[in-house]
Amino acid sequence: MFSFSRRKAATVLAAAGFAVAASFTAAQAEYPEKPITMVIPLGAGGSHDLNARVITSIIPTYLEQAMIVRLTPGAGGQKGTQEVANAEADGYTLLFTHNYIDMLQQHVETLPYNPNEDFIPIARINYAPIAVVVRGDSPYMTMDDLIAASKADPGGIQMAHSGNWGALFVPAAQMMNALDIQWNLVPYQGGGPAMQALLAGDADVTMGFPSTLSGQLDSGAVRVLATAGQESIYDDVPTFGEIGVEGDVGFMHRVVLAPAGTPDDVVATLTAAFQALAEDRTFTRMMGRLGETIEIIDGPAYQAMRIEQNGNYEVLVNELTSQ
Amino acid sequence: MIDFFIEGFGMAMRIDTFVVMALGLFCGMLVGALPGFTTLMAMAILLPISFFLEPIVGIPFLLGIYKGGMFGGSIPAILVSMPGTGAAVATSRDGYALTQKGKSRKALDMALFASVFGDTASDIFTILMIFPIALLVMQFGPPELFAVLLMSLIIIAATSGSNPIKALIMMLLGLWLASIGTDPLGGVERFTFGIFELKSGIPLLPMLIGVFAIPEVAKVVMENKKVRQLATVMGERLTFREFRASFRTVCRSTVIGTSIGIIPGLGQVVAAMMGYSAAKNASPTPEKFGEGELEGVAAAEAANNAVNGPTMVPLLTLGIPGDNVTAILLGAFVAQGLRPGPQLFEEQGAVVFAILIAMVFANLMFLAIGYLSIPIFSRLVTIKVSVLIPLVIMFAFAGTYVFRSDSTDLLMLVVFGIFGILAKAAKFDVMPLVMGFILGPPMEYAFGQTVAMTNGDVAGFFLGERWGATAVLMASPFIGYLLWKRMQRVPTD
Repeated sequence: MFSFSRRKAATVLAAAGFAVAASFTAAQAEYPEKPITMVIPLGAGGSHDLNARVITSIIPTYLEQAMIVRLTPGAGGQKGTQEVANAEADGYTLLFTHNYIDMLQQHVETLPYNPNEDFIPIARINYAPIAVVVRGDSPYMTMDDLIAASKADPGGIQMAHSGNWGALFVPAAQMMNALDIQWNLVPYQGGGPAMQALLAGDADVTMGFPSTLSGQLDSGAVRVLATAGQESIYDDVPTFGEIGVEGDVGFMHRVVLAPAGTPDDVVATLTAAFQALAEDRTFTRMMGRLGETIEIIDGPAYQAMRIEQNGNYEVLVNELTSQ
Repeated sequence: MIDFFIEGFGMAMRIDTFVVMALGLFCGMLVGALPGFTTLMAMAILLPISFFLEPIVGIPFLLGIYKGGMFGGSIPAILVSMPGTGAAVATSRDGYALTQKGKSRKALDMALFASVFGDTASDIFTILMIFPIALLVMQFGPPELFAVLLMSLIIIAATSGSNPIKALIMMLLGLWLASIGTDPLGGVERFTFGIFELKSGIPLLPMLIGVFAIPEVAKVVMENKKVRQLATVMGERLTFREFRASFRTVCRSTVIGTSIGIIPGLGQVVAAMMGYSAAKNASPTPEKFGEGELEGVAAAEAANNAVNGPTMVPLLTLGIPGDNVTAILLGAFVAQGLRPGPQLFEEQGAVVFAILIAMVFANLMFLAIGYLSIPIFSRLVTIKVSVLIPLVIMFAFAGTYVFRSDSTDLLMLVVFGIFGILAKAAKFDVMPLVMGFILGPPMEYAFGQTVAMTNGDVAGFFLGERWGATAVLMASPFIGYLLWKRMQRVPTD
């Protein structure tokens, strides 16, 4: 209650002082004094786009400035990321990305920026745990069946994924490493087409996020064999931990980054605004409707996760490319 | 099922649904008409609004934007030879030729009628056949997609003009240009020479505007007309007799477009080109195509709009979005608590049918909105040359920039503009270039997927397991040859 009233007071003060402040010089002005751009290094219509539309329609309440989405797809996310890396570190250009673009790509190719030094995390918005999925009429009733079949016929199991080094490919590769199995990884143009390939019988196994699966699950068209993490999501379905795949495997974290060197007070303002989203009822309702969770953690906490991801991905890429 | 249909029909008859849909159609048309702005962007930005509306109001609103935007894209294609999307390329060919003859209103009217007819017919077909289509969709995997794309390229090359060698050269050039950038399967950089700007490949928009709009601007400038002269007249409206004369073509294109819509991953560009090629081939006077034939506009527009109905099927029956537009619609459905998938029809059948029925009414409403707006748009070409030309140049550059906010794209626009002027002078048709450029990457991707699926034995896989795809592959050289022969024979009669 205390924090609520203080925020309210701050809002009133800010509103009252706005006309006065506007007439003073820019140096005196409080951040943010103009709209903030949030760059998404991905295309229109994807899950990042949808999440960002919800965020940017609510966050102006807390920043008292508009936040504008700019889609800059290209080069597997590097184009938009580079744009933010080169932008002024003044808090007016932010990046909305995910962990695979952020931390994995540096180990696969030469990037025109250094993700470890050019960015600081502001907030993680949410994360999605991946699930291993087979058709409803598949002979693989459990994860053990699938693992046994994969061991009996290395490379014989067709796994449909959403593109190399993407959100389905990486967990599949990590799983292959951890369980010492071999799948034939076939790329599709996104998670939707990969699911279609599974249903059509072109693939034996794929992966998907729970928010996109429930329609198929309810009808019995697909069956989930395992889900990422340590916490059970579906009854009687083992977690990755229970089948012997440990660590930060199969989570896509949606994160907001800022260029390194962004002033501390700006970071604090942004952090407070993103934290406030978790309490906002309209925000939680809209995200709930999209089937997305809200699991906001702040910059320093996510930075620790980034460092861990960096190490894991380096090991993974080295193992995969050395074969 | 019938009960759901009747109940859905009742639910769709709401005044607010119609008002919001009309708003969506009009806004979509405006956004689609501006080069560089895509309907996809408009839909993504306006999606949150639909969260606050009822399902039967919010989703038709988004559908309205989509349908309006599809037609909007053909407006600059017809008026100033500036197709903003691949789907409008075939339309711009005869459409712009008609504008130059002072018949822009007829061309726009024809585009509108053909679009609405193609869309409505395919929507109704989809509503009636939704479950058979859902089964059919499942028959198409990467090998089939590869076969159909290859056949499309062969047909385009064979029917594009009198000189198939020139067409093939341009198509190969287009395929090569498309290969520049990061290889989508292996992640290897091709022909980038280490330049970061080339890493994500050459974007489509600067190429489209460059090779289609810039040469036309240059032509007008070179003719050195009196600057105070008016560009052209907008002409009369389309007569019923003229529409009647193209009706066979419209029906043929609708069938072609609907069939292509069933195959996941093909889309409007292929549909428009196939509809256009088929009409040209069936015509007793194929040499008139490209010179300002109303049938050419009708063929392209009916076909690319007829794709819309079947593309909704995987979304509704399986909950799988096939492209970005349907991905946004999926977001809108889910946000309303409607989870597309097999069970949606059992649990919420009435709502789904209400939305589908609203879709059909959106088409009919658009007939009125479009018909009333066309005179306003066609007035654009009746202004002075000295105003129109700078305006076109401004839109060419602004549209190119606004698309990705990347200044490299402006350089590409200039390069493609110069290339277009040279190609025009040397009588090389740029259409096969653009088609090779657009269809090359999905074809390569589908082939790469096929190879990945086979574990190496590609020929055995095609012959042993994918006889459908094999049949298409075997037949396509013969189809191409027959079409080419036919095109050669007709003018000499």
